[in-house]
Amino acid sequence: MLRIIGGTVYDPANGINGQVKDLFIDGGKLVASAAEGRTIDATGMVIFPGGVDVHTHVAGGSINFARAMTPEDHRRTQAFIRSQTRRSGIGGMAPTTFATGYLYAGMGWTTVNEAAVPVLSARHTHEELADIPIVDKSCLVLMANNEIMLDLLEEGEYERAKQIVAWHIWAAKAYGVKAVNPGGVAAWKWGKNASQLTDPIEGYATLTPGSIVTHLARIVAELGIPHPLHLHCNNLGVPGNISTTLETVKHLDGARAHLAHLQYHAYGGDDWDTMKSEAAQLADYFNSHPNLTTDAGAVLFGDTVTISADGPWQHLLYKLTGRKWGNLDVENETGCGIVPYTYRPSNLVNAVQWATGLELLLLIDDPWRVFLSTDHPNGACFWRYPEIIQLLMSADFRKECMAPLPTAIKNRITLPEIDREYTLYEIATIISAGPARALGLHHKGNLGEGMDADIVIYNREDDIARMFGHPRYVIKGGEIVIEEGDIRETPDGREYLVKPFYEPDTEEFLRPRFEDRYCMSFENYPVEMERIERSQIQACASPDSSDSPQ
Amino acid sequence: MGGKVTCTLGEVKNRADFIVYWGGNPAECHPRHFTKYTLMQKSKFLPRGRKDRTVVMVDIRETKSVKAADIFLQVRPGKDFELMTILRAMVKDQEVSDEQIAETGLTREQLTDLIARMKGARFGVMFFGMGLSMTRGKHMNSAALLTLAAEMNAFTKFVAMPMRGHGNVTGADVIMRWQTGYPFGISFNRGYPRYNPGEFSTVDVLVRGDTDCAFIIGADPGATMPQPAIDHLAKIPTIVLDPHVTHTSRLARVHITTAPAGIAAPGTGYRMDEIPMPLRPALESPYPSDEEVVRRIKEAIAAKPDWMGQQPQMLLSQI
Ligand SMILES: [Zn+2]
Repeated sequence: MLRIIGGTVYDPANGINGQVKDLFIDGGKLVASAAEGRTIDATGMVIFPGGVDVHTHVAGGSINFARAMTPEDHRRTQAFIRSQTRRSGIGGMAPTTFATGYLYAGMGWTTVNEAAVPVLSARHTHEELADIPIVDKSCLVLMANNEIMLDLLEEGEYERAKQIVAWHIWAAKAYGVKAVNPGGVAAWKWGKNASQLTDPIEGYATLTPGSIVTHLARIVAELGIPHPLHLHCNNLGVPGNISTTLETVKHLDGARAHLAHLQYHAYGGDDWDTMKSEAAQLADYFNSHPNLTTDAGAVLFGDTVTISADGPWQHLLYKLTGRKWGNLDVENETGCGIVPYTYRPSNLVNAVQWATGLELLLLIDDPWRVFLSTDHPNGACFWRYPEIIQLLMSADFRKECMAPLPTAIKNRITLPEIDREYTLYEIATIISAGPARALGLHHKGNLGEGMDADIVIYNREDDIARMFGHPRYVIKGGEIVIEEGDIRETPDGREYLVKPFYEPDTEEFLRPRFEDRYCMSFENYPVEMERIERSQIQACASPDSSDSPQ
Repeated sequence: MGGKVTCTLGEVKNRADFIVYWGGNPAECHPRHFTKYTLMQKSKFLPRGRKDRTVVMVDIRETKSVKAADIFLQVRPGKDFELMTILRAMVKDQEVSDEQIAETGLTREQLTDLIARMKGARFGVMFFGMGLSMTRGKHMNSAALLTLAAEMNAFTKFVAMPMRGHGNVTGADVIMRWQTGYPFGISFNRGYPRYNPGEFSTVDVLVRGDTDCAFIIGADPGATMPQPAIDHLAKIPTIVLDPHVTHTSRLARVHITTAPAGIAAPGTGYRMDEIPMPLRPALESPYPSDEEVVRRIKEAIAAKPDWMGQQPQMLLSQI
């Protein structure tokens, strides 16, 4: 049992905005009262629900490929030293698994969603997730370039395609569905891309990226998956892609969707010389379409490594930078590309990207629908989130950061005209309550009775980045894991999954198609349930109700 | 420049109409490779199977695998790197002299023909074997081949893939990377992982006599390492976990017999393309698995009093 008394609580899920309130914890949950146990005097301190990352890349083949490609970064970055209770590890651009858990928990994040998992290597992803301590985890399976499903959609077999999606979610032991560059990754297998939403995809007669978006969003809704289709639009990172993004969301036909890393999809202009931010236009559309949520995919200046299932984009980035390029195409399902990258304030394109991410966060007016992310490690590493919080909370700090940007940036961004400053209540919404709700994890990001006792306690400080980078206490599942900057306990987190319904004959239908394309036996393909450590299956909405629960 | 452009084996099976083996002998080293993944498979995109694929073998000698190839290019020993550099230049239409080509043991006609075929392919793949990665200039050779494959993407789809050795080498490499950031050659003696192959690789540590205990799982260094390394293993307490009696187990102070993985112990094996495969035991063994033994040793050590003392939690940057 644990009591936290006298703290100033920000709990947007319950409309609590800076009230002094005592919290009681028993059995890992928040309860109405606790008679005994340790008492933390949080007088003068700020209390948030634990952070929730809706979109990050922390485990699996791609990030592990990135680790292999960046030994020079490991050598210069921070190192965790082992102790009796703590494993050693390396931080930096692509942190090792143990360090990932310590770094997330160290800044008060207690739930993370790994956004891109191929079924073929899902076993590997789960093995890595099991090695990330403290935080709870979930992951999304990549479907929008699965050729068995694409073939069915081309043949007009919608119902079958739906069964196949449900089967794959369970086979991957995933929590939801991610679509990356629909059709574009499949085309990349021939070195091509899919850049027009209404053009047939390479290798198909009639199937278009637009129709994949329409069908997949409907499938996810009909299966009752708690998290709507997680959508990475076509033409990521390309000047002028705002038109693709707007066209993509129209193909949703009003279905719910989460738009991943929106910053990378909000550009105007015709080429790299004329590229500019269209965040204002996109935010405007977004504000009037309540079926959408998004995460920023914000960029910070500095070194990182970019990894994405978007193979064509990574090849373009490699050609632009001339730096290392890793690419891994995964049979039938997806691919991934890896390129180390440095965002520089002196580089006009990078400066526009930096401003675009912040503009989206500041111009989308409902904090329940836009969440903090950097698409780790693509825009910046996750452990730099406190810097973004500071940029959102201080217009003066933003001005300071804009000073060194190239003068040519004028008229390409709107950031200088925005004076909005986030409140603590809004920050608590975009880093915790909002993403938890979008993920359908209703016991997270919520300090109400009966909810998971994932709690962060900050010292109130003028230096915002410091305050959010170094919480005084972090409590995960009722246990104090961080205290005064020290890692105290390293409990293992849970893994959330869903098991959507599929017709019993799906497997026999799939088997010959699978054997045709893959080179492993069908029995070896799905991840066995015993392999998921501390799994927790979340309910899907009943197939009848087309609206998932809010 | 560097990096690696690759794919899973199913992509090769489904799409590769142009396959190069460089310094590899799959017919003898990976007996199921041709039939399962590359040459013989038919697919939606290559309906006639072998007939739809062109296979090139580059090697210093005529191995058994050469019989399976359409084209054999016999490179002069030690000239792989030069040949790859010449190909990289010729692909980009840069000048290369006749003398430079002659040094590789091949003719301009052979190379022009090869490049035309590479550029004409829809999906090309280059496998490189031990013959390339373990000979003179090993890292340079692999890097040059990976770069050639990456650069070919300016013309058509091209990937490259190493043909890894026996056992679950790939799996060890994958796990070390997610836990420490590095694939092998790691030292933990400062309490956090440091990487320096050539200094921290097993053979270097043993030859220098820098270790006072050895714990060996699923490997037989006593059969392959240089004599000074083996001598040191015999001198120190060496503990071996192995289902069989091996050269190493004979010189070890302790040999714990374990159940053979994949036959009598479950687990995961990583394919050469880093795809994890579940291992399902067909037999029961009276012996514990490697995992069980390691876990029990770890628990016993954890039960001992804290011997590490106070250390900082973290270094903000390494020196
Ligand atoms: Zn992402």
